[in-house]
Amino acid sequence: MGKSKSTGNHKSDKKKNIAKLWKTKRRTKDLDQIHEDMRAGNADKLLNQEVDYDVTGNAQHYCLHCARYFVDLKTLKEHFKTKVHKRRLKQLREEPYTQAEAERAAGMGSYIPPKAVEVHTQPVEEDMN
Amino acid sequence: MRIEKCYFCSGPVYPGHGMMFVRNDCKVFRFCKSKCHKNFKKKRNPRKIRWTKSFRKASGKELTVDNSLEFEKRRNVPVKYQRELWNKTVEAMKKVEEIKQKRQARFIMNRLKKGKELEKEEAISEVKKNIHLIKAPHAGKAKKMEEKMVQKLQEDVEMGDD
Repeated sequence: MGKSKSTGNHKSDKKKNIAKLWKTKRRTKDLDQIHEDMRAGNADKLLNQEVDYDVTGNAQHYCLHCARYFVDLKTLKEHFKTKVHKRRLKQLREEPYTQAEAERAAGMGSYIPPKAVEVHTQPVEEDMN
Repeated sequence: MRIEKCYFCSGPVYPGHGMMFVRNDCKVFRFCKSKCHKNFKKKRNPRKIRWTKSFRKASGKELTVDNSLEFEKRRNVPVKYQRELWNKTVEAMKKVEEIKQKRQARFIMNRLKKGKELEKEEAISEVKKNIHLIKAPHAGKAKKMEEKMVQKLQEDVEMGDD
């Protein structure tokens, strides 16, 4: 259960500099932060951002669950079909882990199983024409 | 001063030990050792890592629901020192700890019993399945035939003598 099931690790460029990715300097969003983002008010803000020339795709194509910007709608849609995105959705389907849960596990209170959360890929607006 | 609990493994974090990480949204994470911190940096889920307390609780390895677990709590209200109350509390803590240890041990022993039963069942079924390795299906028959032959021969010899 705990062991990694992935095989064939050498092909991905991402895995060539793993130590750098683990630095807190380059820290990406945690799952609990994404859960926070998924709330109605925050989600609207993130999905309809103002044009920012410093961000990939001028911050117009954002995947809420993977916390990633994409160049255009096409790549965003392509991304929704990938394994990375689907895996992330699966991870998000469980309530995020908290310090409170760690304390309960340490003997401060009884165990409460994590609730399931319904997560779907964000709808894409179809204003291509 | 209080002994905090590690975010990752739920172990105690004593003052001056481990490390604290404050994320850029002001959320505080405490780790008891660098192992826990490293695993956190790798974004691992403590529920899925076998050696953490939360894994052991989540997968039913340890006692999860019990009244003895309800005593230790984060109480953010200071209590004025009273000698009698203090003494009694310390006594109670010892008692609670003793009961808790006993219950946890009993839970684990009960959990292991099931495995023993299954092992026994497995052993019996294996013996039944592979009995031919110990005792060949026609093992007795040949001997019986031989005995019969010998008897008949003897009878024949006796008849011949007469």
